[in-house]
Amino acid sequence: MNRWLRRLLITAVVVAIWEGVYRAGLLNPIIFSAPSLIAKAVREDGMTFLSAMRLTMVEIGLAVAIAWILGVAFGVVAGASKSLARVIAPVLSAMIAIPLVILYPLILAWLGLGPESKVVFGVLSGIFPIALNTLIGVRHLDPGYTRMAQAMGANRFQVLFLVLAPLALPAIVAGLRLGTALIIIAIVLSEMLSSTDGLGFWISYHRSLFNTGQVYLGILLAVLVAAISNILLSWIEKRFAPAKAA
Amino acid sequence: MSAETNMSDMIRVEGLGKRYGDPATGLTALTDIALNVRAGQFVTIVGPSGCGKSTLLQIIAGLVTSTSGEVQIDGRTIVGPSPDIIGVMFQDAWLLPWKTARENVEFPLALRKVPADQRKERAMKLLDLVGLTASADQYPDQLSGGMRQRVAIARSLIQKPKVLLMDEPFAALDEQTRTRMGNELLQIWQESGGTVLFVTHGLTEAIYLADIVYVMGARPGRIIDRIEVELPRPRSIDMIGSEYFGRLRNRIWHLIADPA
Repeated sequence: MNRWLRRLLITAVVVAIWEGVYRAGLLNPIIFSAPSLIAKAVREDGMTFLSAMRLTMVEIGLAVAIAWILGVAFGVVAGASKSLARVIAPVLSAMIAIPLVILYPLILAWLGLGPESKVVFGVLSGIFPIALNTLIGVRHLDPGYTRMAQAMGANRFQVLFLVLAPLALPAIVAGLRLGTALIIIAIVLSEMLSSTDGLGFWISYHRSLFNTGQVYLGILLAVLVAAISNILLSWIEKRFAPAKAA
Repeated sequence: MSAETNMSDMIRVEGLGKRYGDPATGLTALTDIALNVRAGQFVTIVGPSGCGKSTLLQIIAGLVTSTSGEVQIDGRTIVGPSPDIIGVMFQDAWLLPWKTARENVEFPLALRKVPADQRKERAMKLLDLVGLTASADQYPDQLSGGMRQRVAIARSLIQKPKVLLMDEPFAALDEQTRTRMGNELLQIWQESGGTVLFVTHGLTEAIYLADIVYVMGARPGRIIDRIEVELPRPRSIDMIGSEYFGRLRNRIWHLIADPA
């Protein structure tokens, strides 16, 4: 409790100093916001931002679910076969190197301004590092595990997902972290580029009107979304980490 | 064990060959392998490294395909993994690190969706057999190398196989542990009445454990002799120092060093 109290106190002091500097007329309100302006934004547009945040989180959640499942499944299958891995790994590397934002206009044209285009763009942005990390993780496992599992009677699916995938978990989780960060960036960015709702859209909208309070509020909420996803990831990492010696 | 089951061939290998690459220029790993193991026997295969003895065992286990010949176990032609009649052990236990010793022993049954309480009961019985009851809930990285191989023995027995195929299972252990594990294996084998085919490069181990020793030569991998070990059971460490044991060891050593 003591630790949280100290953190709260430090935050309060920083906010007070920030507000003081603003009141003293030392900050240009078009560039820098102030705590009171953010509070005003909450009063004026709080509900709009809250529903925008919910939409953004749903988009991120969908994109993450699709990219994780498809990316890991694809990576495990490709990584378990030497010949398949040799063909697919360079393709995945190349896909990661391409700035996928160049595809966004096409996705927009196909799927429109709504959430669908954001989810698809998010999936595309995250799936390749997830698949590549999984592939490499599985590729590096000793073939002895596969041989043993086959000798015990494991079928192909069981070898892949009950033996190889859990063994490759450290590499897979590293891929999930990277992929999830890229998905969050992609979805907020795509909302900013062209959309009708979502945190990115409202940040962009208020920026063009010089409502810095609203812009800062949007940024704070976007940081919050990233923090929530990070907490979930850490939990998953702990939950599924191989049991270690006490 | 009745004389009748003793007479039947549990493992029969005929005309077995393994080639890599194309027939003209490829590599011959194994050629014209024939061997048979009767039910209840303990048979070892000894040979220099690179003679293909591990490949031979994996072909018999149905994990690697041969290019010629046939393997029959208990009258069934082996075309793939057959966990219902074959238990397999390797030099490494390949335990799953996130599962406890007991869960690892249960794993083959879990793959077949056997109910959890039945699995647990069987696993605890086998852990008791290998002397690991106290370590049932420990994870592999909390176990010593010998203990991990004991878990692997228990796991290979859980589907009640008719045949246990072992590929240098104790080679990575220190000499004292290896000797102790050999004795324990003999005890388990005598209690369970199964059939064991055991691959090793250790001459002493090969003779000490076996009823019959198959000696292999390299390039190409082939069987160069079949030797019956006429030592009484149960075996004891003192037998290793006997004159008979020494002569047998010398004979095999010469077979491997300068094959005819």
